[in-house]
Amino acid sequence: MTETIIAAVAVAVIIGLALFYVIRSKRKGRKCIGCPDAKGCPMVKDGVCSCNTKNK
Amino acid sequence: MRIAFAGNPNSGKTTMFNALTGSNEKVGNWAGVTVDKKTGIIKKKFYSGGETLFAVDLPGAYSMSPFTAEESVTSTYIKKEAPDVIINIVDATNIARSLFFTTQLLELGVPVVVALNKSDINKKKETRIDTVALSGLLGCPVYTTVSSSAKLEGLKEVVGAAVALKGKEQKAPYTAEDGAPADLEAAKAADRKRFDFVNSIVEKVETRRQSSGEKNIHDKIDAVLTNKWAGIPIFAVVMFLVFQISQAWLGAWIAEGVEIGGREIPGLVTLIDAFKEWVAGSLSHANVFWAALLTEGIIGGVSAVVGFLPLVMVMYFLIALLEDCGYMARVSVVLDPIFKKVGLSGKSVIPFVVGTGCAVPGVMACRTIRSDRERRATAMLAPFMPCGAKLPIIGLFAGAFFGEASWVGTLMYFVGILIILLGALLVNKITGFKNKKSFFIIELPEYKVPSLWRAIKSMCQRGWSYVVKAGTVILLCNAVVYVMQSFTWGLKLVAEDAPETSILATVAGPIAILLIPIGVRAWEMAAAAVTGFIAKENVVGTLAVCYGISNLINTEELAMVEGADSAVAAAFGLTKAAALAYLMFNLFTPPCFAAIGAMNSEMKSAKWFWGGIGLQLAVGYTVAYAVYTVGTLITDPASLALLPAILGFAAVLGFAGVIVAIGVHNNKKAKEELAKKAL
Repeated sequence: MTETIIAAVAVAVIIGLALFYVIRSKRKGRKCIGCPDAKGCPMVKDGVCSCNTKNK
Repeated sequence: MRIAFAGNPNSGKTTMFNALTGSNEKVGNWAGVTVDKKTGIIKKKFYSGGETLFAVDLPGAYSMSPFTAEESVTSTYIKKEAPDVIINIVDATNIARSLFFTTQLLELGVPVVVALNKSDINKKKETRIDTVALSGLLGCPVYTTVSSSAKLEGLKEVVGAAVALKGKEQKAPYTAEDGAPADLEAAKAADRKRFDFVNSIVEKVETRRQSSGEKNIHDKIDAVLTNKWAGIPIFAVVMFLVFQISQAWLGAWIAEGVEIGGREIPGLVTLIDAFKEWVAGSLSHANVFWAALLTEGIIGGVSAVVGFLPLVMVMYFLIALLEDCGYMARVSVVLDPIFKKVGLSGKSVIPFVVGTGCAVPGVMACRTIRSDRERRATAMLAPFMPCGAKLPIIGLFAGAFFGEASWVGTLMYFVGILIILLGALLVNKITGFKNKKSFFIIELPEYKVPSLWRAIKSMCQRGWSYVVKAGTVILLCNAVVYVMQSFTWGLKLVAEDAPETSILATVAGPIAILLIPIGVRAWEMAAAAVTGFIAKENVVGTLAVCYGISNLINTEELAMVEGADSAVAAAFGLTKAAALAYLMFNLFTPPCFAAIGAMNSEMKSAKWFWGGIGLQLAVGYTVAYAVYTVGTLITDPASLALLPAILGFAAVLGFAGVIVAIGVHNNKKAKEELAKKAL
């Protein structure tokens, strides 16, 4: 029973962290997560990604 | 305070931007690496004062009159956003060309600081520039700078001068006549006048020891590497060596382990396997589903992808060395004449070269192309170059079916180039385009001994991206795949003897039917191909989860699965011809969703976008079908099933029919429009 709980918690934590990273990256405006040289936004200014501004 | 970084392409703007802000934006020694503006905060160590300095890195431009989309980003930003100060990065090795743009910037009234970048190269060549005289003639501060990662010079002075100039007025040393030129001739005359002014300045401030007209060692090397006949074979040999070192030698040793002096040094895959076994052993009394989801679904799937990390990193390292020494820019020159013959822009070569790293920036690099048709055609064709994410798939199939043969990887790149050429001809036919002569001008960087530090940095950055993707997108997909594989639609655990009742099998089954003509019958293979659209590495991860094999590099394990060496390929239930066909299907059908999104935003046309996706699907399927059918007819004709072969041929004929119909329709429409215009 304890091992089952440990396994389930480990799965939940791993998936939760992965989801958190993906959602945070998307909110930052990343076009592709983990793609080399494809990060469109080096900085977030006032909560708005620099590549999502009206001047793009 | 906002400081804009503006200058000619390949003058080192992004290198300086990275040095000042600590960013890791992509840099390269050819023009057009930066296609969109990037913002960062300049580190405090480069200036005094409490104000936050925002640095805006702009794409390179030769003039304030934009010709391409990325040049218009620069001119629009400078004219409309009015930065507080402009740092004009000038390539100190060629000020005669760079100062044309400088004089235009000085006319805008925004304070300008000129940074004579790459001054270390001038020192080596004994070219002297009188910065005091140049500053006096231009009417703005001028500093010599070096911003490569190995050396930083003059950056504090440049930023300090920029801060001091905020709010001050800028006077122009040269002012164009009022109003826009009436016609092309007037514009050319205005440009000539400006060039005369620039040349008069250069004569006063520059002293060169080496004339640019003299032939040097670089020209002699270029004569061989970019030779009309030898260039392509040399490129093939270079790529073969890259694959040999990364997939069969160094990369494979790091992945699989190596024996030195009778002592076994474990590889990454062995260590990952040991970790997986330790976790499985620790959870031996846990519920079977949860333990297996963690060990097989998550750890097994991710480790199958991460196992290829050494191969991928060694390849990235070698590519970075080739870029840094100046060879990759020469590849553009070698390929340019061929691409021009099929109606692509000479500039199309850059997106294809960039696309070997990642299709997303490869497609984005298309915006340097002026013509809409050429830009869209290039964006449509760029994903055919195998990107870094496809390397694990190549590594898997080359290792499992072809004894780690390096020719497999090299062949994939050359098939990619061939498809691009044929695809461009096809696009010409469909759009009714008549080939016109176009020009491709690229500044070739000088040959140099590549920096190991830069190559290691590039390798680590790309390697880290690979790990991040494996730990996020791939991990989530593998978890979903495992759950779908473990449960039936009635949410009951799948019985061991009935894997075809799983959700995954029932979803992937119908798709697998479509793959029968290319020699693939397993629903697991179909599922892997579908998850590959999320990220191409998923093909490897999904296969690992579905077949319960985390070590896809060391083929001994595959042999054990089937119980005999000769049955390595049988673990996946494929013949060699089918394996090659399936590999090509994954490589040449549409890319991942991120690249598809980039295609959509660069093409700016629903017709072109969906046409591109259709073409990629048709090409990928046709190539895979041809490889399987011809390969089987050569190797084992008796095993070729007739009905699937006929159905596959019918599908290929169907694709051809649709393409011909669209081509006829478009040509007819074009003729009608021409006739209307004539009236």
